[in-house]
Amino acid sequence: MSVWNYVVTAHKPTNVTHSCVGNFTGPQELNLIIAKCTRIEIHLLTPQGLQPMLDVPIYGRIATLELFRPHGEAQDFLFIATERYKFCVLQWDAENSEVITRAMGDVSDRIGRPTDNGQIGIIDPDCRLIGLHLYDGLFKVIPFDNKGQLKEAFNIRLEELQVLDIKFLYGCSKPTIVVLYQDNKDARHVKTYEVALKDKDFVEGPWAQNNLDNGADLLIPVPPPLCGVLIIGEETIVYCSASAFKAIPIRPSITKAYGRVDADGSRYLLGDHAGLLHLLVITHEKEKVTGLKIELLGETSIASTISYLDNAFVYVGSSYGDSQLIKIHLQPDAKGSYVEVLERYVNLGPIVDFCVVDLERQGQGQVVTCSGAYKDGSLRIVRNGIGINEQASVELQGIKGMWSLRSSTDDPHDTFLVVSFISETRILAMNLEDELEETEIEGFCSQVQTLFCHDAVYDQLVQVTSSSVRLVGSTSRELRNEWKAPSGYSVNVATANATQVLLATGGGHLVYLEIGDGTLTEVKHAQLEYDISCLDINPIGENPNFSQLAAVGMWTDISVRIFSLPDLNLITKEYLGGEIIPRSVLLCSFEGIPYLLCALGDGHLLNFLLNMSTGELTDRKKVSLGTQPITLRTFSSKNTTHVFAASDRPTVIYSSNKKLLYSNVNLKEVSHMCPFNSAAFPDSLAIAKEGDLTIGTIDDIQKLHIRSIPLGEHARRICHQEQSRTFAICSLKYNQSSTEESEMHFIRLLDDQTFEFISTYPLDTFEYGCSILSCSFSDDSNVYYCVGTAYVLPEENEPTKGRILVFIVEDGKLQLIAEKETKGAVYSLNAFNGKLLAAINQKIQLYKWMLRDDGTRELQSESGHHGHILALYVQTRGDFIVVGDLMKSISLLIYKHEEGAIEERARDYNANWMSAVEILDDDIYLGAENNFNIFTVRKNSEGATDEERGRLEVVGEYHLGEFVNRFRHGSLVMRLPDSDVGQIPTVIFGTVNGVIGVIASLPHDQYVFLEKLQANLRKVIKGVGGLSHEQWRSFNNEKKTVDAKNFLDGDLIETFLDLNRTRMDEISKAMGVSVEELCKRVEELTRLH
Amino acid sequence: MDTTSSQPSNSNQAASEASKYLVNLPSRGLFSSTVISSNPGGMRVYICDHETSPPEEQLIKTNQTNILIRSLTLKKQKGDSSSKDVKGTTATEVSKKRTAERALDSRSSSKRAMTNAQSSSRREGSGSSARTSDRDYQSLTVERLRALLKERGLSPKGKKDELIARLKGVNG
Repeated sequence: MSVWNYVVTAHKPTNVTHSCVGNFTGPQELNLIIAKCTRIEIHLLTPQGLQPMLDVPIYGRIATLELFRPHGEAQDFLFIATERYKFCVLQWDAENSEVITRAMGDVSDRIGRPTDNGQIGIIDPDCRLIGLHLYDGLFKVIPFDNKGQLKEAFNIRLEELQVLDIKFLYGCSKPTIVVLYQDNKDARHVKTYEVALKDKDFVEGPWAQNNLDNGADLLIPVPPPLCGVLIIGEETIVYCSASAFKAIPIRPSITKAYGRVDADGSRYLLGDHAGLLHLLVITHEKEKVTGLKIELLGETSIASTISYLDNAFVYVGSSYGDSQLIKIHLQPDAKGSYVEVLERYVNLGPIVDFCVVDLERQGQGQVVTCSGAYKDGSLRIVRNGIGINEQASVELQGIKGMWSLRSSTDDPHDTFLVVSFISETRILAMNLEDELEETEIEGFCSQVQTLFCHDAVYDQLVQVTSSSVRLVGSTSRELRNEWKAPSGYSVNVATANATQVLLATGGGHLVYLEIGDGTLTEVKHAQLEYDISCLDINPIGENPNFSQLAAVGMWTDISVRIFSLPDLNLITKEYLGGEIIPRSVLLCSFEGIPYLLCALGDGHLLNFLLNMSTGELTDRKKVSLGTQPITLRTFSSKNTTHVFAASDRPTVIYSSNKKLLYSNVNLKEVSHMCPFNSAAFPDSLAIAKEGDLTIGTIDDIQKLHIRSIPLGEHARRICHQEQSRTFAICSLKYNQSSTEESEMHFIRLLDDQTFEFISTYPLDTFEYGCSILSCSFSDDSNVYYCVGTAYVLPEENEPTKGRILVFIVEDGKLQLIAEKETKGAVYSLNAFNGKLLAAINQKIQLYKWMLRDDGTRELQSESGHHGHILALYVQTRGDFIVVGDLMKSISLLIYKHEEGAIEERARDYNANWMSAVEILDDDIYLGAENNFNIFTVRKNSEGATDEERGRLEVVGEYHLGEFVNRFRHGSLVMRLPDSDVGQIPTVIFGTVNGVIGVIASLPHDQYVFLEKLQANLRKVIKGVGGLSHEQWRSFNNEKKTVDAKNFLDGDLIETFLDLNRTRMDEISKAMGVSVEELCKRVEELTRLH
Repeated sequence: MDTTSSQPSNSNQAASEASKYLVNLPSRGLFSSTVISSNPGGMRVYICDHETSPPEEQLIKTNQTNILIRSLTLKKQKGDSSSKDVKGTTATEVSKKRTAERALDSRSSSKRAMTNAQSSSRREGSGSSARTSDRDYQSLTVERLRALLKERGLSPKGKKDELIARLKGVNG
């Protein structure tokens, strides 16, 4: 790999951190707004449910999200503050469907210690000011003027240093905050302050309450008429106001989120750390609070945010599991739960670990993640491309074409499958036992190759062979009419629909026939100057049985032409350029937009927008799908039409948001495809590949496919073993059943197909699984699982004891072969020169695999290297060892064979707190650190002095905005050696927010080109809320902020394809490169993920 | 008996209870269809190709005045304007008390406060005492005078005139 890297998101963040409901997109429209770390999603609430509207990328990590209604406005504004101290106020402009910036600013202070308990951003219910608590001891106020405009912000000294929560109280004549804080004796209190805007100071508030629950962590302000505040503790819930104090005990739990149900604030939903949903009720009489009640409703994912939508529907956003749409029923179900989960929204976060495997052995990587936490832990299998679930398969060599036919025009299902070979045609049909059996249609000519077949009106079938067109009754199966090719001419290509046939014979003759009840009429004939290579008359107009346009691909002049039907007049001629002839044309319509697709013999596909009335072709785009000729065919899945492009790299073409998307199908080579919707195999496809005819159903049409394997426990490490076809995971299970909360750690073995637990090795009490590896040793042909553990004792700050366990898989069981005690936590294990390299606390230790006299094996310590704070992440390559330290960035060690010693070669002297490392190539190493940055360092072996050689030079820096837990070499897509992107090496990363991303090393010239494109895109694509892309991507930690270098933002670059034409032209002009070329180069990059 | 087994019976008992509180969940006619449609996947990604900088005066900056200096100047202004106004005095007193507390606080947590903030607070502190000496002590209440004496580490005992004399003695 190289220093020039391209970072792109393959799977967007799914961790839901905030949500709110309000009238954002219109005074009458109710919206659910969801924050997923660096994106916000806007949904519309409708009688039919949630309707997704927009996915808005934000150049920042969202720290707070609030909807509010300034005075005199008809709809809500959205307030967003980011973790890097920027804020913006957004408004929806319904007319242009744009998000406009009402205000923005930088709220950072030069001095100040960032708060430990997260940033707080709140808005006064009477919209007099915005309050921010970003630094200990400071409360920032952004006041509103009478017109709802924001004014200069100012700080107020807040005496309480350990603030847990701050909220605005309702119904106060002066804006009043209530502060929940902890004093230096760890007791918790609440206090109120009035904000004196004129004096820019606090005034003691109306009341205070000392010595609350020790676990009090959350304040809920209660709206009028009751007012006051609810203080949610771990063992009590308290209602507090100037005049009242009510408390109730609760079962010990940590409340993570709340959602207000009623506008008057008398009912709330509370979600706790175990995923239990409670209803909290404030009972009141004559606007006086008389008491509190709490009721358990049921279980959801562990909530990070709860929004009551409408009509008993609730959105539960989660960081640890899937987010959910739930309905609360009036009566409990059989299990006593009032909660019904209606929908789950996939969340991969937090991805704690993952591995890249090729389970189907197709040369296509799949990512298996350890996702979720606590009870919502799961494994997720993430796969790019569309899978075919095989239902039946027959061995059939040399298929030249396939068509499905119905037994009558009204039959909803297909009955026959016509399979054409070079010198015969066979007809398969479903028999009574639902088996595919060879049959005959008497009227068809079966001794020759069939060029085309189709159902026709009046219960007829049409077959085109090289000599004739045959019209056959579909029930009688007898020939009803035949059109014969003129003598001396044979039909080369043909196409048909229910009422029309278009065919071409040698010499450039184009013949148009119409089908009647038992009649075939030659309506028109045209002589073209060259031979015809492909044809299509797929009806996409109003009449589903009749096409008014015909598309014709030509030899010699390499053009595609549009003819009108039935008069066969040429209306458009489009030269394709190049020397590759069109091999398949298709008229099709996606989301109501007509397109012409034209596939070339070298695997390229052109698409045009087609004007149905004028036949004009516009907006030409070219993509490369494979290297072999493509055959295009439409099919339907879930009532939507898609196009299947059969080639060496089969692809499904579909449309989303009026944009064509290409998703590869997880099959190697497909020569032909036809939809086959039979009663036994509904919604299936017949696929001809490599000597097989397969019938199968197709996955949902989308790019990434995610399969969930819920574990009910938290998987922390995962590893695949090819030889035993198993996965091994380190996991932990929390037991909340007893009064004492306890956790148990396990090593589990899973089958790599079924993902069932097949064997379990429980670890000791207090013993954590820290690392796992599948490896073999020199002089031993067996493959082992090695597990590194740590004894985490409550009285110790750092573990001082751990184990390395060596297992072998025998008969699907984990057998412990050897174990070795270590003097600390085994944070990482690597196979290293036939030995085992372990990172144990501050030390790197190498173990030999020794044969004892009695024939058993043991790990024997060979050499080690000290000098780290905690060696957390280790990668090796040859004799080199790259260590990611807890706080000392990256260092490079080398193993010296002669001395059998490990020595430090070089290090990066920056103080980065690492979260993952990977070796890109011999000289370049990649690291991620805990301020959401990634960086590359380079070994400087040509340095003049030892000092220079001992320094790893920082060559690339970038703010990813994501906490990376793991890097792995590999790819999510099929790597074809002959495609351009097939040569680009990639690393995959997984993050806490559930992002799966790709880092690709580019050749220098391509990097330079894309850097220029990125710079131009920055000028055209603006950050929502006025946030700057350049600032967002700048490397930033406590010590420094520097511009990103040697990393490109692929997410920004790939948005180029979504721009409208004028914007594309603008960029093309600035770049001096044609739009088509830009599209092609960017589209190539999208193939990386 | 552990809590898991007791839990269902509890919830069963409470079943009718919870139902009672679940009646009349708010509804505005949304989510009313019997079939709630599932999300059809893809969501349009917003591309922002229009100008997003805020209106000129809505680019918000933070007032850079040191908080301490601001509160002291504010107090001074108030003190000047309110020497005749009794109501104003009480307000000043409150904020003065807070300032004193703060000065203490900034000293005790010296590692957090910046050195220049500290020095300025001291300077301002001496300024404020000079200011009080100018004031007519007669207009202050006995309680307030006692507080002032306490601040200076003097005995708060005695009659009002004695207190004033003591205060003047220090300042003079």
